[in-house]
Amino acid sequence: MNDADAVAQQIVKVFEHQIAGVGRVQDIPVVRVAKEAIPTVAHYIHSTAEFRGTLSLQWAVDLRPMEARSQIYYLFSLAERGAWLIVLTELADGDRGFPSITPRIHAAKWYEREIRDLFGLIPEGHPDLRRLVRHEHWPKGTHPLKKDFAWDHVMGRQQGEYHFRRIEGEGVFEVPVGPIHAGIIEPGHFRFSVAGEPIMQLELRHFWTHRGVEKLFENLTLADGVSLAEKVSGDTSFGHGLAYCEAVERLMDVAIPPRARYLRTLFLELERIHNHIGDVGAICNDAAYALALAHGGRIKERVMQLNDRLTGSRFLRGVNVVGGSAIDLSPAQIDEVVREMDAIDKDFGELSAIVFGNASLTDRLESTGTLSEQTAWDHGVMGVVGRASNIDRDVRRDRPFAAYQDLVFRVPVFTYGDVRARMRIRIEEVKESINLIRQVRERAPAGDIRAPIPAPPDAGRWALSAVEGWRGEILYYVMAGENGAIHRCKVRDPSFVNWPAIQFAVLGNIIPDFPLINKSFNLSYAGTDL
Amino acid sequence: MFRIIKKSLTTGVVTGRYPEPTAPVPHLTDEAKEKAAPFGNSLTIREVDTGSCNACEMEMNALANAVYDLERFGIHIAASPRHADALVVTGPVTANMERALKDVHKSAPDPKLVIALGDCAIDCGAFKGSYAVTGPVDRHIPVDVKIPGCPPRPAEILAALRALMGGAR
Repeated sequence: MNDADAVAQQIVKVFEHQIAGVGRVQDIPVVRVAKEAIPTVAHYIHSTAEFRGTLSLQWAVDLRPMEARSQIYYLFSLAERGAWLIVLTELADGDRGFPSITPRIHAAKWYEREIRDLFGLIPEGHPDLRRLVRHEHWPKGTHPLKKDFAWDHVMGRQQGEYHFRRIEGEGVFEVPVGPIHAGIIEPGHFRFSVAGEPIMQLELRHFWTHRGVEKLFENLTLADGVSLAEKVSGDTSFGHGLAYCEAVERLMDVAIPPRARYLRTLFLELERIHNHIGDVGAICNDAAYALALAHGGRIKERVMQLNDRLTGSRFLRGVNVVGGSAIDLSPAQIDEVVREMDAIDKDFGELSAIVFGNASLTDRLESTGTLSEQTAWDHGVMGVVGRASNIDRDVRRDRPFAAYQDLVFRVPVFTYGDVRARMRIRIEEVKESINLIRQVRERAPAGDIRAPIPAPPDAGRWALSAVEGWRGEILYYVMAGENGAIHRCKVRDPSFVNWPAIQFAVLGNIIPDFPLINKSFNLSYAGTDL
Repeated sequence: MFRIIKKSLTTGVVTGRYPEPTAPVPHLTDEAKEKAAPFGNSLTIREVDTGSCNACEMEMNALANAVYDLERFGIHIAASPRHADALVVTGPVTANMERALKDVHKSAPDPKLVIALGDCAIDCGAFKGSYAVTGPVDRHIPVDVKIPGCPPRPAEILAALRALMGGAR
């Protein structure tokens, strides 16, 4: 089933009367379906053995003022590596309901609540229609991504209370944590229900840092949206900037110069390395092994200072531009990077040996916060967390972007799904990233680093891109508006998908292990809240 | 055990191994210096994220690593605002975090300093005007010190904090 058309044809064969049309955008088959048929079609793609489609993204678009209707898109990643399929349904103006697929596909749960909050479209039959992005003080009827909602609207305040799911019974009590936490981390609320030590239920209440990013994109032009993408989640500045650029370049049919593709690869791997190394130290620290934090923090700092010397930004901001790279590296600079990487390879290798040699640390990490493969698959979990639970997905291999097509690397996968597996994935990936950087030095061609940007695309055209950031698959959907404006930009950080999974990974563990489990996921709050 | 000792010996001392900041130290008002005076050479900080993209958090965390080691200057990070002498606030204040910020400010004992860290905390940066943002930090609580940057480098944050404390001596 590797031919995109064959996939679409099979859907048409099974659901002939309910299919409104079949098209193709880039290499992605797009099947238009009447809204009533969505749950059956989605369930078919999700459960049929040859598709085994994971819902990777679900989002809505308000087409006004171009046309008076809304669209809802469902992106499925199929069992065949890297194969995508989009199911699309349209709602006429004034039609506010669409059938929910959540009862059959867990992964849709937050997406549908998000669509309801931001567009006012109601997923009928959704088992949980509490607010997600909009906190209770937002006035009724506030749906910011509708086109008739002004981006700088001043919101009023109303009274309201979020009702957490409650477990009642003798000895059961609730522990609220957040939004302000003890460490230097972002705001989020966690509500634990415990009886004695073990956690019976964890419920997340996020979206405290909702800044209106997707609405702000609509004020920008395609060419200058990069700087906002870099601020979606600071620790993934480069990954988000790159995913945005890739989407816009596909939309405008810009061919990136080969050298820029290699530079992007190098910088993306640097970002992966400094985050992974920092995380390994921090995970150990949450099991009270401070030595690893000291070394991890030191090595991470080394990479960030290297970033600063190369680009003038410790977060690699300002490097990505639509059409290529704003910064070129001289051969001497690339040599310096590889020298640093060789040193870090040895340095970090020694640290890993110390970490693995510590039996009491291993005892804390093993079998803590286990996420089963089935739960991970049901919720569409991917990235570092997914690969630790045997979900073998990596965009760099499955849908190569930048220069990954030409490079050789391994994608580590573990089956245990515990904290230690998530830490080991990071340790293995650092080695692979260092190897990738060595290959970039050997193979990067000389030449231009920036392609000219062509005339803006027609309004209503769209493109989708995927980039494997250090956390996992970052998706950007960009639809062009009039004269090079952005009509809609949907941002999906891997954190948005992986957050709900943490609610299952903690069950049966004790609250004092929650920080450890949370750290092994290390998800972004800002990237989720947008 | 030998592996750990060998690692420490071969690594040596890394504290202070960072380039000197090039950005000028932010201007400190006399009021801010006066407010910092009672804390002398010891300052306990509570960090509050009111909508930052987490880059400022990463740099605050970097301050605690062996390279910057902010504790050597008597600066501590507290786990609760009730133990704090100063609040470091990052990010534009989002509608959802406004209440929490005011609560934290109330919880911190007087006298207290408020430090707005990063461009977003100072003037909302890229998020200025958004429906979901209710204004920079100083619209909600009085701000004593502003450290600009997107994000400011750890060395710059450290220089600003030291200048603030140096003003006390």
